[in-house]
Amino acid sequence: MNDLEKLKNHFEGFKNLEFINSESVQSRIDAFERFCQKGVPSLKQEHWKYSPLSKDLIHFQNLKFSLNQNKSFNDTHFEKFDHYRVLLKDGVLISDDIKEEGLEITKYKQDQFYEIEKNQILDFNNAFFTPGFEIRVDSNVNIKKPIVIYNYFSKDFDGNNINNKNYIYLDKNSKAEIYEKNIFEDEKDLFFTKNLDIELEQDANLVKYYLNSTNNNKTIYNFIRSKLKQNSEFEKFNFSHNVSSCRDEIIADLNGTNAFVSLNNIQHLSQKCFHEIKWEINHNEENTRSSQFVKSALHDDSVAAFQGKIFVDSKAQKTDGYQLSRALLLSDRSKFLSKPELEIYADDVKCSHGSSSGSIDQESIFYLRSRGINEPQAKCMMIEGFLAEVINKVKNEDVRNIFYNKLNEINNT
Amino acid sequence: MIDIKNLKVSVEDKDIIKGLNLKINKGEVHAIMGPNGSGKSTLSYALSGKEGYEAEGEINYNGENILELNTEERAQKGIFLAFQYPIEIPGVFTNNFLRTSLNAVRKAKGEKELNAVEFLNLVKEKSQKLKIDKEMLSRPLNVGFSGGEKKRNEILQMSLLEPNFIIMDETDSGLDIDALKIVSNGVNAMRSPERSFLIITHYQRLLNYIKPDFVHVFSDGKIVESGDWKLALELENDGYAKFVS
Ligand SMILES: Nc1ncnc2c1ncn2[C@@H]1O[C@H](COP(=O)(O)OP(=O)(O)OP(=O)(O)O)[C@@H](O)[C@H]1O
Ligand SMILES: [Mg+2]
Repeated sequence: MNDLEKLKNHFEGFKNLEFINSESVQSRIDAFERFCQKGVPSLKQEHWKYSPLSKDLIHFQNLKFSLNQNKSFNDTHFEKFDHYRVLLKDGVLISDDIKEEGLEITKYKQDQFYEIEKNQILDFNNAFFTPGFEIRVDSNVNIKKPIVIYNYFSKDFDGNNINNKNYIYLDKNSKAEIYEKNIFEDEKDLFFTKNLDIELEQDANLVKYYLNSTNNNKTIYNFIRSKLKQNSEFEKFNFSHNVSSCRDEIIADLNGTNAFVSLNNIQHLSQKCFHEIKWEINHNEENTRSSQFVKSALHDDSVAAFQGKIFVDSKAQKTDGYQLSRALLLSDRSKFLSKPELEIYADDVKCSHGSSSGSIDQESIFYLRSRGINEPQAKCMMIEGFLAEVINKVKNEDVRNIFYNKLNEINNT
Repeated sequence: MIDIKNLKVSVEDKDIIKGLNLKINKGEVHAIMGPNGSGKSTLSYALSGKEGYEAEGEINYNGENILELNTEERAQKGIFLAFQYPIEIPGVFTNNFLRTSLNAVRKAKGEKELNAVEFLNLVKEKSQKLKIDKEMLSRPLNVGFSGGEKKRNEILQMSLLEPNFIIMDETDSGLDIDALKIVSNGVNAMRSPERSFLIITHYQRLLNYIKPDFVHVFSDGKIVESGDWKLALELENDGYAKFVS
């Protein structure tokens, strides 16, 4: 991707494609120019210092865009519980629109894009995106069934780059639960970027779960920008399991008093997997609360990075910001990189952060073994117990079971 | 049952057990008493095969020298240690742990593993006898348990696993008077001609409830005196001075 001439030719071809609506063309051109000026992320740039993307994108010298015309979807991937379905196949929304009882799910319709100076991959996404989904919930509506988003990457896709933009809007005092999962059918190289913008009006409540599970040769960039008004709440639980290369970035702006954001991530990585978490929470108003909780279990040569930032504006008195990260290093080659950041301009705030990494507790292992449990199983129990602490907080029983089953599946292989 | 010959144990290059000889026949209960730091817990760990405990000599268990066996193999063969300080393991739920442990041991013995219902019935019966609240079993292992609850949980595990050779390391410390009776009853109920006990304690009181066949005084990594249960009384009155050089 660092050969800009090649990329420019690629963009020329791309922007004339039929599906691109005329309103968005100029913004795409602008975004692409910004990307070219900033260049591919490099380890030298602070914002991308711990990022797998800084190493990986070099491999994508020939980007190939493609639209898969085949709209079939394998039923076995459907969750068994009652839910609303949103299907994205190779980046294209293939499910029908949903309009009922204050819920509307359609194709992504926005055509105004913002810039974040340090984030050229967002520019890239803005230039090359395929519209994903748009979810809108009317005021005072509590969506009873969870919405499940299937990101399905099929084996008959013949490109190597997919970029999606999605949008979620919850009007006043509405409530929704969303579960999203990735399904990869093969091990082809793929660079996938996904941008999700979330807006929560006063008293709105959104819970989002994301299972990013086992993949090979996939370089993934997830970027979520969420804006929370007064009394609104956003809770997020990620389970990242053996993702070959991924950056999960979230910016949460607490723009109204009593807004609350809770970000939780467990990651279980082996071999050469590299997962980076970059969270930035902006307390812009009084009495806002935030919580960040990360647990990492790292085998083999895997690497995990966590950068969590808490920013507190001078007028955001009585802020409560909490951050905790624990990592279990299960091999002497695995690495955990952590960089907590506090930037506080108000004086009456409560902010705490803690980070620890270490190997599995040998006394506990001895205890389990002394009860006849063999060593590998004792280790599994410890890892499971370690990660389960986050899963236990998942309130939706179906999702909690999915996460637990995933954990068991991991431990039984 | 167990025949320990000239056992020497060192930890981090420090010699702690210094030539121990002890023979416990089937059905016997032996008590070990001795000053703090004399190596009693070290002995219990060495018998359980804890890593980092360099042992030489012989530990013959039912005619087999088990020195080379690892911890879980010894447990599966019926050796059980009730810990002096049972460890807290957040995230591992007690019920889950108990069932995994029980089935691991049953499997090794060639017995049928218990399904969830069979297990719950069994654990219910056993825990009622020890007056263990079932709510406790749905919590993470030992986390937030009181000192006495932890000890009772050890005895629950013992009664579930039905081991043949049981080492109890200061199970009585931390127990209130009623709990001491409950635990002692639990232990006495398990006494059988096929099962042996090694009870480490500082207090003669426990031995009123669980009558030992032999009492040994342990000092500086060795047994320095052996006798019957009256020796415990003598120690209670006179202390260890007479036996410690
Ligand atoms: N890992 C270790 N490294 C170094 N020394 C150790 C280690 N573990 C035990 N020791 C030492 O070995 C000696 C015996 O300890 P042990 O715990 O076996 O004593 P004990 O007889 O059980 O004492 P208590 O009655 O207080 O429980 C002590 O001096 C102790 O400090
Ligand atoms: Mg001791």
